Amino acid sequence: MSLRIAVVGAGGFGRAIAQASARHGHEVVLWSRRDRELPAPVRTSTDIHSIKDCELIFMAVPARHAIETSEQLGEVVDGRHLMVHISRGLIGPELETITQVIARKTVCRRLGALAGPLVADALAEGRPSGAILGTGFPELTEMVREALGGSELRVYDTPDVIGVELASATVGFLTVVLAYAQEVGVGPSTLAVLATRGMVEVSRIGQTLGAEESTFTGLAGLGDLIAAVAGDERPEIRLGRALARGATLSSAVGEAGAYIEGIEVAAQMMEHARRLGLETPISSTFVALSEGRMSSDDAIQALMERRVGRE
Amino acid sequence: MLKRFLSERPLRLPHIRPYVPRPSDPSIFWFNSERDDVVADVVNRVCASQESDRTRLEMALNDAAFHEIRRLEKQRDEEARDRLGYWRSMIRRIGKMDDIEQRRVLHTIVTNMARDIAGNFDPRVYRFARKAAPRLIGGVMEPRRLTEGLVDGSPMSLDRVLRVEGDLDHLRNLQNRGSLVFVPTHSSNLDSIVLSQALETSGLPPVIYGAGKNLFTNPIISFFMHNLGAYRVDRRIQVGLYKQVLKLYSQVMIERGYHSLFFPGGTRSRSGMIEHQLKLGLLGSAVAAFTTNQVRRVDRPVWFVPTTINYALVLEAETLIKDWLTEEGQARYIIEDDEFSRIDRWFAFFRKMVGMRGGCIIRFGEPIDPFGNAVDAEGQSLTPTGRSIDPGGYVEHRGKAVADPARDAAYTRELGEVLARRYQQDTVVMSTQVVAHVLYRDLVQSTPGMDLFARMRLRGEVAVDRETLHRELGEARDRLFALEGRGRFRTSEVVKEDSPEQLLERALTFWSGYHDSTAATREGDRIVIGDPSLLLYYQNRLVPFAEDIAGPEHLKAACEIEQLGVYR
Repeated sequence: MSLRIAVVGAGGFGRAIAQASARHGHEVVLWSRRDRELPAPVRTSTDIHSIKDCELIFMAVPARHAIETSEQLGEVVDGRHLMVHISRGLIGPELETITQVIARKTVCRRLGALAGPLVADALAEGRPSGAILGTGFPELTEMVREALGGSELRVYDTPDVIGVELASATVGFLTVVLAYAQEVGVGPSTLAVLATRGMVEVSRIGQTLGAEESTFTGLAGLGDLIAAVAGDERPEIRLGRALARGATLSSAVGEAGAYIEGIEVAAQMMEHARRLGLETPISSTFVALSEGRMSSDDAIQALMERRVGRE
Repeated sequence: MLKRFLSERPLRLPHIRPYVPRPSDPSIFWFNSERDDVVADVVNRVCASQESDRTRLEMALNDAAFHEIRRLEKQRDEEARDRLGYWRSMIRRIGKMDDIEQRRVLHTIVTNMARDIAGNFDPRVYRFARKAAPRLIGGVMEPRRLTEGLVDGSPMSLDRVLRVEGDLDHLRNLQNRGSLVFVPTHSSNLDSIVLSQALETSGLPPVIYGAGKNLFTNPIISFFMHNLGAYRVDRRIQVGLYKQVLKLYSQVMIERGYHSLFFPGGTRSRSGMIEHQLKLGLLGSAVAAFTTNQVRRVDRPVWFVPTTINYALVLEAETLIKDWLTEEGQARYIIEDDEFSRIDRWFAFFRKMVGMRGGCIIRFGEPIDPFGNAVDAEGQSLTPTGRSIDPGGYVEHRGKAVADPARDAAYTRELGEVLARRYQQDTVVMSTQVVAHVLYRDLVQSTPGMDLFARMRLRGEVAVDRETLHRELGEARDRLFALEGRGRFRTSEVVKEDSPEQLLERALTFWSGYHDSTAATREGDRIVIGDPSLLLYYQNRLVPFAEDIAGPEHLKAACEIEQLGVYR
């Protein structure tokens, strides 16, 4: 049975989801602020009311636009709609997640977060891939699988929505850290320690917000990080490399060619950890590096000199 | 023997003529004529859900027998002597029973459970309680005025002790349009009594609520609670079927339009903190009541009323905090030997409360639908920008209203999170909590690196200069007002009006002479911390806001206090 699907946001991911859904025979409307052309049968619109009759909505906008977009959606959605977002960021010092923003700004309650090693190109072209959907609503999982799944995309699910959102947001930052480390020439062993201990660090913070540890070691966390390091050409990799070559943060962001939320996420998480008295050696060191307050040699030395204990 | 009799068969008044409710009577006046029907409805639904296959049915019977045998073997009382034999014999026979026999046994067990849970409502008792309760409570507080009230018939005012806040007109508007579910915070066993009184004085309808079976052992309380619609909850019973019957009883009552009350915290807050991890069982029953009515096309909305009960002095504070501080306490669910069971403590408590203004504030928050949306005067669900929507849409799947327990469970979890946030926003900060917080923060500040339990042993060892304390109280109060302005919580009238000096005096007077130990006392120009655990209890209400209340010099101590809310 064909679904009526709305995609909100016409970035790389928005377009890929629209194409994948249309390929599976669903009726798709893509909303964006500016006029867009997409191959038929995807319909495009700049009128937010055009999505009103859809059953399933994918929100595919950067986290910094989440509040504004949610407010617009708030004018048209109601209790019948099911919504999934694909943003990677967190909002403000309270580390508000995107589903929390949507719940605050709209009356949509059947919400989910799609994350993991999902790549826009693979999704658009139908290459085999996998993702994780965080939602408490089994009917939403069913619908997303019907919209995007099949033999091309394996959509796993977990009720740990906040875990998926936190893991997904922090993978961006860890990717920058690993790219930086690779560029300054650290070996595979050090990279592995950075990746694993970095994930433990963010998972510890995540647990204070209600996330489950296992989500960070699953597709939303380590799975996504492996894809990033294996070379799916994310802008975070370019940012990390540019920083390692001595670029300032603003010029490195320019070089990366995209807005990257990882650095902001790291600073927000550090602030949260400080309030709770948690240690965040990797995040703190990296923020100091990115702000030019520390050299890479000092950073590695500072991390290596820390007291070592049981894993 | 008597205890068991009272808890299993509470007294009822004989009926000479059956009471015929008037159309203007609250829905609960119809309950007695519907009770058998309610019990039958609950039994049929539970049995239907278990009889779908033999394995499930056998599992349910085995689970019931196993848990009941375990409970009764531990209890070793009259009930154990009566019932243990039945369960032991049954568990041996389950495997040999045919389908019909298994269903018959299930039906008997479930019927007994449902009958045991179901309450009663007697309009005569209700009318008597309406008139007598304020006078009795008032009499306990001021015995001299009891006789005056009896002589001239004037009602005794509880206004000095109990203050009710919130948009009462809104709630009165909604009471005839759907089912109201009051979901308060829980600090004391007095909560259901003061809340019933608050509903009565506010012109709000009487409610049904679940009360622990242990409370039915007192003959007077048992008589009133049973005849005013309270249903009995035996927390000792761990049987899955019993929990299902309990939830369905609550669900069926809400479906039928009875206004309800339950404490989503499950049990009294041991720490004194605002509840943030809620038990979802009964909450889920109210959500299920709404969705079931929708699927059956019955237009009877359900609205939740987040309610906070705020005390300047908590009857059972000492037992509760002691319980929280001990490992055993974490698992000790039913306390039977606390201050609530001692009538002398009731007297001491009420006397103390009536002597002081602003002892208890009940705040009814803005009602919400089962999905956390605000509702207008007509009961329409609203979006954050004020557009009205149909809440029936939440149970639709591809255009059709459908039953889906997994979906409802997810809605319930989200509702629990909304309520936890609303509890913070609707908490009314009381004088004793502010003073306790500032004093406890000074204690933390002066004992860096010391753990919680070591601090609890510092009785009479830490003192704060009175002038310094006045200054700190003044600063904390200014920050509290700023936070109140941002909607984080509310402060009591007393906190607003008192000077820091008066605030301190008020709290010290509240504490002195009621609890066995004293939270803090005056010694010349110093305030000496007496029992840090009492301070901890009262200040715990402010844990989520500690950092925002602190100035730079107390930030470290405040961060440490805020962590109490994360790890416990």
